[in-house]
Amino acid sequence: MSAQTTSMRDALYEAPGPKTKRRTAIGTVVSLVLLGVAIFFIIRQFYITDQLNERYWSFLLEWTTWRFLLEGLWGTVRVAAVSGVISMALGLLLMLGRISNSKVLSAICRVLTDLFRSLPSLLLIYFFFLVIPKYGLRMPPFWMLTIPISLAASGVLAEVFRAGVNAVPKGQVEAAMSIGLTHGKIVWKIVLPQALRIVIPSLVSQLVVVVKDTTVAYVVSFPDLMQNARVLISNYDALVSMYFVVAIIYILINYAINHLSIYLAHRSGNKIISRETENPL
Amino acid sequence: MGVGEVVAEFGGVYVQSLLSTWLMTIVCFLGGLALGVLITVMRVSPIKPLRVVGDFYVQVFRNIPTISLLVIFVYALPYLGLLLEYRACLIVCIILVVSSFASENFMSGINAIGVGQIEAARSVGLSFVQIVRLIVIPQALRTTVLPMTNLLIATLLTTAMGSQVPLTPPELTGMVNYVNARSVAGISAFVVSAICYAGTALVIGFLGNKLDKKVRIVR
Repeated sequence: MSAQTTSMRDALYEAPGPKTKRRTAIGTVVSLVLLGVAIFFIIRQFYITDQLNERYWSFLLEWTTWRFLLEGLWGTVRVAAVSGVISMALGLLLMLGRISNSKVLSAICRVLTDLFRSLPSLLLIYFFFLVIPKYGLRMPPFWMLTIPISLAASGVLAEVFRAGVNAVPKGQVEAAMSIGLTHGKIVWKIVLPQALRIVIPSLVSQLVVVVKDTTVAYVVSFPDLMQNARVLISNYDALVSMYFVVAIIYILINYAINHLSIYLAHRSGNKIISRETENPL
Repeated sequence: MGVGEVVAEFGGVYVQSLLSTWLMTIVCFLGGLALGVLITVMRVSPIKPLRVVGDFYVQVFRNIPTISLLVIFVYALPYLGLLLEYRACLIVCIILVVSSFASENFMSGINAIGVGQIEAARSVGLSFVQIVRLIVIPQALRTTVLPMTNLLIATLLTTAMGSQVPLTPPELTGMVNYVNARSVAGISAFVVSAICYAGTALVIGFLGNKLDKKVRIVR
């Protein structure tokens, strides 16, 4: 998305004359000064509230801190990876059901897809955390987190897969029908192999949503990055620095995933299909 | 407890929480749109530092998990001398996140127009303001109807983060907690909230689709 934004930005403007050049230069200087002032005031605010004090930051130099954070990150990665795989399988099944010839199966899959897409993952987590145990089913925290996240993601992924299927040229399906392939064979041999390749960048970008969803792991007290950060906060009494560091880690992870997906999309020439670009109904 | 009993006992609070969710969704979405427009203007301006700040802003807020932003607002900022009420924290956080996605939608709306049209407009002598007003904005807005509809639904789902801070009345996700703490409602409390979410999303999606069909540009 952001990789291709430059061309249009520049096309909006004519080659600047001397006046415009001067105005742009003034604007640049003014905005740089304002930016500098803003940064100064933020740092000053940290300073006068004593948050720059060494005791709030020194624990970040210790290996034990990072080992504990990495343990948390490993928890995050495990939940995200397993959720990613389950949601992909489930999303694929929902999509296959929806494009199947059976009207009943198609309707059921459609309702499930739309339902999972329109519920917050947090509500689903509460369902598995608060409601399911009341019916006598005890689950380890890992699954109380992974299953709802997978369900929430599977609805979106089903739509992503469907967009991929729709992107396969109709003529190929017609050609396959005309040589007498069955519906199952057409889907399995002609449509799916191409559709899957088309949606690879979109699947990667969907991981960002899964990683974001894992951050509420503390609800079910599963030790993920955020939960371990909370433990460190109570150990070192360094709340501000820790929460900012954790936020930066999450931003970097998601930024990397986003860029991987943009890179894959560029290389294969496919668009990234996400919640934002697909049909809401 | 069945769904009926839950509605009978907690119906009033449910209506309040549904309205609270709707209100937060609307406020956050409109706030996010407004801020998104501002960020987009920065990102397409000819002034380099503004572009860089705009791009940086979008990368930060579209990649940060909302809960991570929320804990910074609720727990960290008071240490830095900024104490906001819980609901204000929540709304500001969601607006920041929504605005980054709104700006991305606007940018791809602008990008979808095509350089050729701008060059054509310039060659018939339109000024910069005319190009933006007559060519860029009408087309960019039409292309962003569906993405913005999805963003509105995403905003609705994000307000579920409100269950992580004490709110009175609680919003729909917090209600599951609220009801379960006061009775043995079990699955019913969840079902009522789920119906409210799914129903709202369905209506938003339906209206968005209708609007999109009306204004869509077939390219």
